Amino acid sequence: MRKYTVPAAIALACVALSCNRDTPAAGADKKKTVALVLKTLNHPFFVDMRRGAQEAADRLGVTLQVQAAEREIDVDKQMQIVENMLQTGIDALAITPSGSREIVSALVKAKAANVPILIVDTRLDPKAAADAGITAKTFIGSDNYEGGKLAGDYVIKVTNGKARIGVLEGIPGHETADSRLRGFRDAVAKSHGITIVASQPANWERDQGFNVFQNMLQAHHNIDTVFAASDLMALGAIEAIAAAGKTGTIKVVGFDALDDAKKAIAEGKMEASVAQFPYEMGKAAVESAVKVLAGESVPPDIMVKLEMITKSAGSR
Amino acid sequence: MRARRFGTLIGLLLLCAALWILTPHFLTVSNLLNIVQQTSINAIVAAGMTFVIISAGIDLSVGSIVAWSGVVLGAMLQAGQPAAIAVPAALLAGVGCGLINGLLVSIGRLPPFIATLGMMSVARGAALVFTEGRPVSGFSEGFRWIATGSLGFVPAPVLVMLIVYAIAHFALTRTTFGRYVYAIGGNEEATRLSGVAVRFHKTAVYAVSGLMSAVAAIVLTARLNSAQPIAGMMSELDAIAATVIGGTSLLGGEGSVGGTLIGALIMGVLRNGLNLLGVSSFLQQIVIGVVIVVAVLVDTTLKRHRT
Repeated sequence: MRKYTVPAAIALACVALSCNRDTPAAGADKKKTVALVLKTLNHPFFVDMRRGAQEAADRLGVTLQVQAAEREIDVDKQMQIVENMLQTGIDALAITPSGSREIVSALVKAKAANVPILIVDTRLDPKAAADAGITAKTFIGSDNYEGGKLAGDYVIKVTNGKARIGVLEGIPGHETADSRLRGFRDAVAKSHGITIVASQPANWERDQGFNVFQNMLQAHHNIDTVFAASDLMALGAIEAIAAAGKTGTIKVVGFDALDDAKKAIAEGKMEASVAQFPYEMGKAAVESAVKVLAGESVPPDIMVKLEMITKSAGSR
Repeated sequence: MRARRFGTLIGLLLLCAALWILTPHFLTVSNLLNIVQQTSINAIVAAGMTFVIISAGIDLSVGSIVAWSGVVLGAMLQAGQPAAIAVPAALLAGVGCGLINGLLVSIGRLPPFIATLGMMSVARGAALVFTEGRPVSGFSEGFRWIATGSLGFVPAPVLVMLIVYAIAHFALTRTTFGRYVYAIGGNEEATRLSGVAVRFHKTAVYAVSGLMSAVAAIVLTARLNSAQPIAGMMSELDAIAATVIGGTSLLGGEGSVGGTLIGALIMGVLRNGLNLLGVSSFLQQIVIGVVIVVAVLVDTTLKRHRT
């Protein structure tokens, strides 16, 4: 009796497996398969990207396989996903690297399997890629550094060059966050009336954005502007501002233009957010993959536009 | 115990059979080699966790120790030290953390949950401070052999895993240390009264766990060609899961590393199969959660029947 312990559990898992097999065992049709490996699927940014990719895949008649790790920073899991997907005979691989250097080891396997690689959103580390002999067919994304600058210039404009800024950083050492912050700092450095009085990581998370900004406000009563490297952290800061009864007196600028952020901007609780267009990125990724598979050439960089979403500019 | 391990093995084989039917990509040599490689890191961490859990403890700090030993290793390699020095240093870094855990539990009489929870935060923070939050990357081909090389057809990480398990199995079943680990987990008070140096052995158990985390860190660093201060986050839960699926009782005194290896393989095969089938990561979490809970549920129910 005792020996059936785990088999029972496994049998259950198998039932779950077979019920949820969402890819029908597509017959013998010769539809090409494009794999899109995302950092995670629990962030609206990547959910939008997936939607754009799906639209393009349906329109162009290719099969799209989307996989992602549970956590955005889990590059080992992302590597495993790439290895496993290569086993299923995918024709092209579009990937948003969880680690600019680390993922190169997995891409070496894609190259060995003759699967063309397209990089989306986060660039590969040029040196690591060159050392491993990896050349991506194209990079599709928007420039996070430029986005940060856009936010910085906007802050200078709306504060007439006088502001005391609190910055909420992403996960330390994360390429995306670093570029955004560098762009922002470079932009505001031009203006002598602007000082960054505090800069702390809130690790991309809403609840940490709340706590970290609450602490920041305790230490620096006179902060009048917040720049958050992502909207989730900005939204957390907005709650902290509300809790301190200071709604409307502190300008919050975020990044990503999430739906919640757009709503907050429309309600006047938030000043602005830098919009990237993940839907366009996903679409461009699949379109480019299809071109590559047809033997056509694609440009080495496909830049997706950035835009400042403000109350007056309205949402897109 | 033997029958129990046999049961876990049947579970693994059933799972493989199901995947073999569901997808043609599962039962290929290259895929199976992928699975064992992907499993190796969790399996190595779980081997140490098995010692701790058999002694009726828990170690929540393993993931952070993976990160800490990894960055020590990465920094030394980057500073131009040969692997022959950097690897022992990383092992020492892991054992050091484990020793502190062990002393806090045995001498400090802290509950293992608290002591290792503290270490989980401290080691993670130390890794971040040490590297200023940035990954350390780019190592020599020679060092990377630990992840990319192979002996015959056996990939190097699998070889490391097999050696670790052979030693761990021997230590648990054939040495007095192993016997005392079971005894402490079964009834600590009785073990102490019969003259066993309980404190010493309990400390050693956490040191073993720290050591295993460091070994895993070495393989992981070579695999990613990078030592990340954020590596191994939540891997304590994967290690506990593999141990528990493998039949080790959280109450202590019972379990085996062989079972843990099979438990780790079940998790690896599940994840691989779900990837091959194109099932979303959200669903993967549900399936793995269900497997863990049902395995333990059936286990405890049967235990109640037996006594």
